[in-house]
Amino acid sequence: MGTAIQIRNVNFAYGAKRVLHDVTLDIPDRQVTAFIGPSGCGKSTLIRCINRINDRIPGARVTAGSIHIHDIDIHRPDLNLQELRRRVGMVFQKYNPFAKSIYENVVYGLRIAGVKNRAELDDAAEKALTSAALWDEVKDRLHTSATGLSGGQQQRLCIARVIATEPDIVLMDEPCAALDPLATLKIEELITELKQKFTIVIVTHNMSQATRCSDRTAFMYLGKLIEYGETLQIFENPKNPQTEAYITGAFG
Amino acid sequence: MQNSHIFREIDNSMVSLKDNVLLMASLTRLNLERAIHSLLTRDVDLARVVIGDDTEVDELELKIDHLGMDILVRFHPVATDLRLVITSMKMACNLERISDHAVNIAKRAKKIGKSTEMVEASVIEPLYSMAEKLLRDALLAYTDANSDLGESLKSADAGLDKAHKEVIALLSSRLENSDGRAENLLHLIFIARSLERIGDLAVNIGEDSVFLSEARVIRHDRKASGPGGN
Repeated sequence: MGTAIQIRNVNFAYGAKRVLHDVTLDIPDRQVTAFIGPSGCGKSTLIRCINRINDRIPGARVTAGSIHIHDIDIHRPDLNLQELRRRVGMVFQKYNPFAKSIYENVVYGLRIAGVKNRAELDDAAEKALTSAALWDEVKDRLHTSATGLSGGQQQRLCIARVIATEPDIVLMDEPCAALDPLATLKIEELITELKQKFTIVIVTHNMSQATRCSDRTAFMYLGKLIEYGETLQIFENPKNPQTEAYITGAFG
Repeated sequence: MQNSHIFREIDNSMVSLKDNVLLMASLTRLNLERAIHSLLTRDVDLARVVIGDDTEVDELELKIDHLGMDILVRFHPVATDLRLVITSMKMACNLERISDHAVNIAKRAKKIGKSTEMVEASVIEPLYSMAEKLLRDALLAYTDANSDLGESLKSADAGLDKAHKEVIALLSSRLENSDGRAENLLHLIFIARSLERIGDLAVNIGEDSVFLSEARVIRHDRKASGPGGN
């Protein structure tokens, strides 16, 4: 199993406030890696470093360290940010389909990339919606508004929109936080399917979710990576007492 | 257990689980002690009490299973909590079997008590002392999460196995000229066998205590192995 994302001694600050301290970890290719930890521990900041979406925040920057994706330094000056974000897609906590049709949502990224051929777009839409386990539910209403879908369907549509551009990596920042338990299970099932094709990094507050669908788990606290390992090891026999306290609910 | 859980109902459930295991353990030890006492003092009434009290141990086993299942379903325990639940449920199973052996001993003590006095019954006492110490240490390993003590039981059990063989050899040799005492000698052989099995069950509890405190699985393997090992 190769390394998809290599994070080395990353320090990150919002202005003068340091929020990540010397974080180092290797995220394996085509596996699901979960980031867990209390609110404010830096897990969302770290995941947002991977596609440099933090760059949009004034004063926010990686102050030291490096991140390589498949051996490419994502901070090198000549890096094409648009290409980085195509290769590293992101799904957010609150599903955010555009106020367009289901079809237009899925092919949005491809249109931005300049694909105009209708057959190619149709093919990509069907493929992405099938991969997102949504095709059967929407194939007869592709040109109706995406906002008419249920919450779970909208989130799967957002996943379809991300994978339509065939990224290498899919980042998910609490993708089920706004979903009911059944919609959550569908997304989790989808995540375990998608790892055949993509490297997935998921931030979650739901520990059961981490145990159900991740291969590796990283526990973060106060901007530091406290423990990182196989998910079963982390949840059966954590090495660090802080990890033990957090996952058993005996923190603080 | 480490710090208190933020959700205190987890602490309450864990404490209840552990308390019931300790209650079951003390009743089991008491049953075994009384079973041997009934044999050595030819106290048939005491043997009957042991047989009757086993129901309480059986009920505790069911209760511990229920509490453990309840914790698994409600709280999805992980790490030390998960190991405590699993170990406690396995421990209840081992204690129930030990109490069954105490009942077997009491049933045979009752039969011996109703017939001629058997001087050979005294050979059982040292075996009982060894089995009882193994059981006491196994319970201590569980309550104190003492993996060193838990791991040491296997070698201590070897001493009981050796003594058991010697007792069986002695009782078997007496069988040849038993003058109508053959049935009682066979009872003593089976009592010795029960004590030897109690030693094995104590070793199981010791091994589970190692898993409880260190997540190390030492069953079937003298070498230390990590989680998910043999």
